[in-house]
Amino acid sequence: MGETLVFKAKNREQTGSKPAAKVRKQGRIPAVIYGHKKETVSVSLDAHKLAEWLHHGHRLMDVQIGKKRETAMVKDLQYDHLGRDIIHVDLMRVNVTETVKAKVPIELKGTAKGVHEGGIIEEHADHLEIECRVSDIPESIIVSVKEVGIGDTVHAGDVELPENMKLVTEPSTLLVTCSLVAAAKSAEELEEEAPTAPEVIGESKETEGEAPEKE
Amino acid sequence: MAMMPKRVKHRKSQRGRMKGNACRSNFVAFGEYGLQALEQSWITARHIEAGRVAATHFLHREGKVYLRVFPHKPVSAKPLETRMGKGKGEPEFWVARVKPGHVMFEIGGVAENVAKQALVRVAHKMPIKCRFVKRRHSL
Repeated sequence: MGETLVFKAKNREQTGSKPAAKVRKQGRIPAVIYGHKKETVSVSLDAHKLAEWLHHGHRLMDVQIGKKRETAMVKDLQYDHLGRDIIHVDLMRVNVTETVKAKVPIELKGTAKGVHEGGIIEEHADHLEIECRVSDIPESIIVSVKEVGIGDTVHAGDVELPENMKLVTEPSTLLVTCSLVAAAKSAEELEEEAPTAPEVIGESKETEGEAPEKE
Repeated sequence: MAMMPKRVKHRKSQRGRMKGNACRSNFVAFGEYGLQALEQSWITARHIEAGRVAATHFLHREGKVYLRVFPHKPVSAKPLETRMGKGKGEPEFWVARVKPGHVMFEIGGVAENVAKQALVRVAHKMPIKCRFVKRRHSL
């Protein structure tokens, strides 16, 4: 994650959804740069270059606006309703040496003991929030699940982090569980359980039974 | 009998209309892979049940299938050969309102190719175009 690439940013004079849509049509992504108690700047970045950069797990970039160059970290991404395309990027000004909080994805490694016994691994959280120097932010945190048996859990506090990183996420946050798969109910079983008609809140059973007679 | 709520506030509902895209349930949250709706539609309880059966049957008790849709809306209909009027018909079936982007089914605990094959079978049971999606890791 330490690598950086220079993105040539264009200033956006107009803000709002319609000007932003126009920017997207031109193959650029609207972005905003903030932080370090400086002015917030609305810019746009090349969509293809940015998508490629993020796809490789990078989060740090140099943004050139005119003659000014700033180092920024991707703080937030917004996707469209289908989760396909990036529609907006939040960039935070950083110094490579400063300490920041960052969300880092978790990567599960190994096949759990419980999986061999017929269980499945369920991932309840897919990232950890850590505090470390910008240059030390990893692409992912590897969590070994080799020793996880059926009924075992892995919490955020159980993850071993390098010395230069501090866990920000609550240590009791559940990350991974291993459980046996309950047999799926057959259609017949579900049919027996399901009510023929739902109960109407506020209507007693007696009045429900009487209603058709009155008609 | 297919899926339906246990308790409801009103027995019958108006048809309503579906505008826009899904603003919630539009990402894979529980499993690792999902089936995302690309169109808007009413998904009946029978569609959901058919999809569930198709997925569980294909997976042979491996992995876990998550249903992210539930038929909350009653649809009423008049009996055949009935004259118009005399009030609204009786509830016939139950539907879930699905907008583009809604992740309807999710699968976890199996390999990607297995999940894909299972969800393709589910997609065949759906009345709308769907696509296979993976869990997107957050920043």
